[in-house]
Order: sequence, then structure tokens, then C-alpha cells
Amino acid sequence: MSMAMVEASAPPLSQAGWIRAWPIYPLLLFVLAFFVYPVAQILWLSLIDPDGHFTLANYVHAATTPVYLQTLGITFQIAVWTTLLAILAGYPVAYLLATSRVRTREALTLLVLMPFWTSFLVRTFAWMILLGRNGVVNHLLVSLGIVDAPLSLIFNFTGVMIGMVHSMMPLAVMAMLSVMERIDGNLVKAARTLGARGGNAFWRIYFRLSMPGIAAAGLLVFITALGFFIVPSLLGGRQQTMISQVIISVVQELLNWRFAGALSVMLLAASALVFYLYDRLLGMSTLSGSADDVADGRKSGVLARAGSAAGERLIAALGWMTDRAGALLETVMPPRADRPRRAWSRLVLGIVAGLIIAFLCLPSLFVIPVSFTDGSFIEFPPKGFSLRWYETYFTSPGWVAATTRSFVVALLTGFVATVLGTAAAIVLVRQRIMFRMAIITLVLAPLVLPRIIIAVALFYLYAQLNLVGTVAGLVIGHTILAVPYVVITVMAVLKTYDERLDHAAWTLGASKWQALRRITLPQIKGGLIAGFLFAFITSFDDLTIALFVTGGSTSTLPRQMWNDLLLQVNPTLAAVSTLILVFVTAFIVLAEILRRRAVAG
Amino acid sequence: MIEPRSLKDPLRYSLDRRSVLMGGVAALTASSMALQKAFAAETLTVADPGGAWTPACDDAFVKPFEKETGVSINHIAREHYPSVEIKANVETKSYTWDAVIATDADVYELAPQHLLEPLDWSGEDMGQIMEAARKPGWMGQDTYATVICYRTDKYKDNGPKNWTDFWNVQRFPGRRAMHKHPIDTLEEALLADGVPMEKIYPIDMDRAFKKLDEIKPHVDVWWTGGAQTTQMLQSGEVDILPTWNARAQIVIEAGGPVAMSWDQGIYSIEGWVVPKGCPKAELAKRFIKFCANAKRQAEFVSKLAYGPTNPKAYDYIPKERAKFLPTAPGNLKLMMQSSTDWWGSNKEKAIERFNAWLLG
Repeated sequence: MSMAMVEASAPPLSQAGWIRAWPIYPLLLFVLAFFVYPVAQILWLSLIDPDGHFTLANYVHAATTPVYLQTLGITFQIAVWTTLLAILAGYPVAYLLATSRVRTREALTLLVLMPFWTSFLVRTFAWMILLGRNGVVNHLLVSLGIVDAPLSLIFNFTGVMIGMVHSMMPLAVMAMLSVMERIDGNLVKAARTLGARGGNAFWRIYFRLSMPGIAAAGLLVFITALGFFIVPSLLGGRQQTMISQVIISVVQELLNWRFAGALSVMLLAASALVFYLYDRLLGMSTLSGSADDVADGRKSGVLARAGSAAGERLIAALGWMTDRAGALLETVMPPRADRPRRAWSRLVLGIVAGLIIAFLCLPSLFVIPVSFTDGSFIEFPPKGFSLRWYETYFTSPGWVAATTRSFVVALLTGFVATVLGTAAAIVLVRQRIMFRMAIITLVLAPLVLPRIIIAVALFYLYAQLNLVGTVAGLVIGHTILAVPYVVITVMAVLKTYDERLDHAAWTLGASKWQALRRITLPQIKGGLIAGFLFAFITSFDDLTIALFVTGGSTSTLPRQMWNDLLLQVNPTLAAVSTLILVFVTAFIVLAEILRRRAVAG
Repeated sequence: MIEPRSLKDPLRYSLDRRSVLMGGVAALTASSMALQKAFAAETLTVADPGGAWTPACDDAFVKPFEKETGVSINHIAREHYPSVEIKANVETKSYTWDAVIATDADVYELAPQHLLEPLDWSGEDMGQIMEAARKPGWMGQDTYATVICYRTDKYKDNGPKNWTDFWNVQRFPGRRAMHKHPIDTLEEALLADGVPMEKIYPIDMDRAFKKLDEIKPHVDVWWTGGAQTTQMLQSGEVDILPTWNARAQIVIEAGGPVAMSWDQGIYSIEGWVVPKGCPKAELAKRFIKFCANAKRQAEFVSKLAYGPTNPKAYDYIPKERAKFLPTAPGNLKLMMQSSTDWWGSNKEKAIERFNAWLLG
């Protein structure tokens, strides 16, 4: 008790900054040991010629051969569009969830998360079958007379967008939702009482308060999208080649790690430049900073000021436009005295968000009937009915073991990443530490780099540490990829957290640890859960690291699916996906029921 | 008793193997007991390309080998391109694989870097392997071919026969897919342009790309993976595409309206390698030798439509089946072999130019 008192009564600023920042060190050490050190060894090769002399030849070649810069441009273009669309479509869904009753929100959250539980391999093939020339969607459009001939929905930019936005939107929704949940609805009501019309109240109050969520979602979606390669290679056309695909081919086919290193460094540098511009233009403070940044005048660059002034005008304009549209609607359809006025906007929101949620669920739901086919292909409509693909799953020790191992590895990854990431996020948001932007960029870097580079680097490191083919090796590799999601999500939520609650707790005699455990963590629970979920799913869906560092002795679910997929996509994959979907959904529902009982009891 | 020394003595072993083949009961018992003792409790990790490969390999090679030697085999599927992992295995001396399937093109990269163990080419079975499948560190296990595959509901019996037909969009209208990769694709262009099969290499890239310009606007899908081609043929997403024969075979065997033409097909070979310095190299080589046997290869291709590399295997393969296999004499003579020499030294340049061409 006395220790706690002493610690609590000591003003935090009396300690040196670098000591106070200790919770960030475990993550930094982890990233240095398992990412920077091994990856730098690989990337370093790009500066060395085969005879061991320093050379810039790889970089000169990469920079002067137009195809690489072009591909890099395409990569950023695809990532930007994915981000815009995922945020634009995700926002109404997150808003609907945040403003619904608890039960509705929980039910809808289950639907939004559905794509997560269907392996990305299965999802992408589901889109190929749904959107193909003879696919379900085109059949429907033609038979309804909406179009004369089947549309080209895939093997072009549209296909890549559909696949990528679909993959990324749950991430965007959950990141935004964790911030929106904490917005006090009374603020909007107050604005309306003070005379703001609905549009202005929403844009000037609610939207602005949800900005940290948008910033976090945008950043996460953008950097994750930069590293995509399965979706563009299966759903894209001639011109949708992303730089990851090129780097993978240089590594695997040409075994030219020097040039692959140069391309990777180029990608990292371009991404860092984008972060820098983002920070200058919009201010990373929307995400990480506090009022300090503004008070410091650190963000007083012309760009930042122009950016924020433009932002203000944009918000005002949006508010005005929404109100005009509302007024117009009211003149066309005057409000009836017997109906509440707000029903209209709620109805529109419900329809828009409902359609977007339907889009999210479509491939997962498609997989269910397909898994009961009697034929040997994933096709729609399925041929006959049988349980043979479930039988294949349950009678194969390989499948069952891989499933169990995947769950174990993903749970461990979720746990480790949440602990390391949350501790670091608290420091990044609350303390003014040096190199904050650099640290954030470093933590995010594993998402930008093609996974094959990380996988190769880890193999060489693991060989020295005897970690090849171990569960620990998998968990470490997955944590490197998962931790950025936790850091960014928790940072966004902390941004909405009033630190004075902690100060109050300390004043009342709580130790720092007690305040953290009893006050802070419960308040930011939404962010922690979202972060854990993202970490879990990153591990659960990873193929590249699993293929590489396991060598084969320890198979995970995506790896097992991959084995099956090499010659054809057979319905076992649909059966597995259905089982996972049912299992996870049942688990979440059951946990919720138990929690309610406990609360009620 | 047999001393461990005998493991290092191929001559002794090959004598044992021959006596087994001769069918002497005593010899059989002796040799398998001897092997069982020698390798008892040993494990071997073999990696293959996965998919339908794995069960076929299991039945034809893995299980019989386990039974005969008492070795237990950890049989797994590997990455698309095994070279990176083989290199990592050797450089770190941390062996995740003891024997692994690699293509002739992979071997072109791996062998000069001294990443492969020399194999033991002694013995009758190994001696029967076809010339193109023999390299010091690699034994070709099967042959696969890139051929023209098409929907018979679109073209009936009068389907496209060769690459000139594939390029002829007037006579063969329909949706087309091509491989988003220069290997095979450049050859296809030259063949379509009338270059005879034996004059393809060295590839005249200018000529090939000029011919590709003609077909570019008519290609609806650029595929990147074999599973994708099976799906597209099965669903009718496209009407005509080049793909590996076994991918189309899956649809044909399931009763799909699909046919293929062997004419001007381009074949390659994949086979076993042992990563250099692997502590279980001797045992792995013994397993590879086991896979050279004609009868076992015949069993292997009864489930998987690849061509055996031991021509004697055709003595045990029914005629009906043989017509679907690339190395069946009638098929092989219609096709050409992909040149690992040319690709080995030109791949980087070709891929770069191909990618630029695609974007243009």
C-alpha cells in the first residue's frame, strides 16, 4: 500500500521521460529482434553485389526501368481507392451499429465480422464464382432484364475493388466503431437544442468526434492494402499488378534477393513518404497526438494549416448540403404529424447499411449451400446433397489437427499482440516521446513489406534459435504482423479517453496499476477487443509465414487449405469454412449469453 | 545383422534391390528385414506440390516404402516455388525437407549454386529413366504439359488444334484466357507465328511480343494459378485457354464438356531433389530410387494425369489411360520440351519485358 501511495503521489513528470516510457520497450525490443534485425540483413543485400562490394545497381535498375515505378503507382492507386471505398461504405455501417441498441448492435456485429471467418482463399474463389460470366449475379441481372449481356465484374479493376473492399471493410468498420461507441449521444442532442439542424449537428459534432476512428481505419486499410497479392492476382486483369506480386516473383522464381530487397526498400520508402505527407496534411494528431501538438505549434506548417482550414470548410459545406437535402425532401414529402420526424434519415441509413452488410455476408453465405454439394467442384447451384465433404474433414487427422493448431496459434498471437500493443499505444498517445512518428512507422512497416520477405528473414533467424517448425516461431511471426492493428486501434480509442479520469482515481488513492485495470482498460475495452480480433484473424488467415517457417511439420488451417487447393478448389474448403463460421458464431453468442447471465446474477 | 556402413554402400544396396525384383522370397525377406533394421525408427520428410499429387504419391510410393523399410514418412505439401526454402535449408543447415519435388527450371537455378545432393544413379530402375529426366542432383518423376484446352459445348468436335488456331479469333470466337507469365506464353506466340518447334530456342523476343500484340485485345482473363484454370474451364468462364494437362483432366474426369489438344504442347519435368548436406540424404536418395520403379510409376499416373519418366511404366498402363498422359509415345512426339537453358539465362529479362508489355 505504501509503495502504491508513494508512486501515486509522485507527480509523473518528475521521472525522466525515457523511464516513464518503459511500457513501450517490450514492443520495441520485440520489433527490433524479430523484424528489424532479420529483415535488415535481407534488405542489406540490395546494396551489395555478388562479389561483396557496395553497389547501387539494384536501385538504379529499379528506378530506371519504368515497369517497377508503374507497378508501384498502380499499387498506391489501388490502395487509395480501397481505403476511400472501405471508409465510405464502412462509415454508415459503423454509425448504424454505434447508434443501435446493444442487442441489435451485437447481432449486426456478427454479420459484419462474417468475412473474417471465411478464409481469404475461399472468399476469393467465391467471388470468382459469384461474379463470373456464368455466375449467380450475372444470371440474376440478365434474367431480370437489367442488362442484356453478362457484365465484366471481375478480371479488371472492378473485380480487384470488390475483393479488396470486401476484405478490408470489417477492419474499417470495427476500427471506426470502437471510437464511435464512445461518442456521447447527448452532444448531438445538445447541438440540436441549440438550433443546429440534423445535418449540421451530425457533421459538426458527431463526424468530427469520430475522426480518430476514421484516421485509424484509413491508415490500417491503406497499409494492409499495399501488401495485397492474392486478390489482385485472382480477380484482377492485365493491368492490376501490385508491387507485392512482383517482389514475390523476384524472390521465388528468380531467387534474386538483392533486387527484391531494392524493390522492398522502394516500397517502404514510398510508404514512409505517404505517412509523412499524411501527417503534414491531416496531422497524425487526429490519431496519435494530443492537444500538445497544436499548443507546441509543431503542426503549424502551411500544409497543416491549409489542410485544417479546408477541413473546416468541407465539414461546414457537408452540413449545409445535408440540411438542404433534408429540407428538399421535406418539401417533396412533408413530415406527417403522426410520425416522428427523424424516421426518414434512420430508414435511409438502415437501407444503405443493410445493403452494405449484405455485401459483406454474401460470399460467406454462398459457401454454406455449396459445402453440401455431391459434386466435386465448388459451384452454384450445388449438385445434389451430401455430407461427404464434412466426412472428409472429420475423418482426416490432418484437417482437425490443423484447425486446432490454428486456433491455438491465433489465440496466443492475439494475447501477445494485445499486451505488447496496448502498452505501447498508451505511451504513444499520452507521453511526448521522441521519434513518435518514426516509432509508429516502424511498427507499421511489417504490414507494408511483402510477407515473403519477412518469412525468409525469420527462417534464417529461427534456424539459429531452433525455432523452425515450432508453435512459438509461428506466434512470434504472426505477432509481428498483428501488433500494428492493436497499436493503431487502441491509440484511436485512447484519443477519446479523458485522462482526468485516471487523475481522479490516483487522487482517490488508486495505484497506477489499479487505475489502469479498473478505470482505463474497462473504458477502452472496445478498442482492446477490436485489436485482439484483428490480431487473431491476422494469424488465423496467414499463409505465407506458415508455409515458410513451419517447413511442413506443423500445419495450420490456411496451410492445409493451400495443400488441398493446389490442383483444384474442392468443396472440403467450403465445408471447413462453414464449420469455422458456425463454430465462431456459436462461441461468440454463447460467451455473450454467459456474460449476461453473470451480469444478471 | 547389417551394419550401418551398408547404408553408404550403394553397390550392396543395389544388389539387394535386384534380388527383390527377381522375386526370390528369401532375398526379399532378408533385404526388407535388413532395411527395416537399418532404418527402424527413422523418419523422412518428403515435400510434394500438394493437391491431388499427395494422395497419388502416398499410394504409389510413400506407403509401400514405409512398409518395405519401416521408415516413417512425414509427407507434406510445399510452396509453389520450392527453391527459396531449399536455399534457406542449405544455408542455415536447418533441414525442413529431406526430399522435395522441384521442376527442371528450379534445378537450373539450384544446381549451379551447389544446393543439391548428387543422387545415386546406380541400379536397374534408375537406369530406365528417360534421358531428359536425368541430372546429377535431380530425378524427374513426372512430365506435365501446357496444352490448349477448350469447351466442347462451344466448339463441338471441331475444336482448336494448335496455337495458330488459338490466335485465329475469327474461326474460333469465344472468351480466351492466357497465363500471366512469359514462360510457355512466348513459345505459344512463336508457334502461332509459324516457327517450327525445333527452332523456338533461342526465343526471338521481338517477334514473340509482336505476335502477342495481336492476341492481346482478345484475352479476357490473365490467369495466375492452376486452380483458377480448372475453375474457369469447369464453370465455362472462358471457352479456350492454355493450361497444364492435369488441370483440365480434373474437369474431363468429372464429366465436364472439355477437351485438350496435344499438338504443339510444351512439356516440362518435375522431380526429386535432396537439399545439399541434408543429414538424411542417404535415406532420401534411397526413397528417390524407389520412385524410379516402372510399376510404381504406373500406379502413380493411374490417379494423376502426368507422364511417367520411366518409359517401361507404359507396359503396365492401360491404353485408355495412356492417351491422357503426356509421355505416351503418341502424345510426346506432338510436343516440344521447354528449354531450361534458355529460360535460366533469360527469365529475368523476359519477365520484366512481359510485365511491361502487360501494362502497356
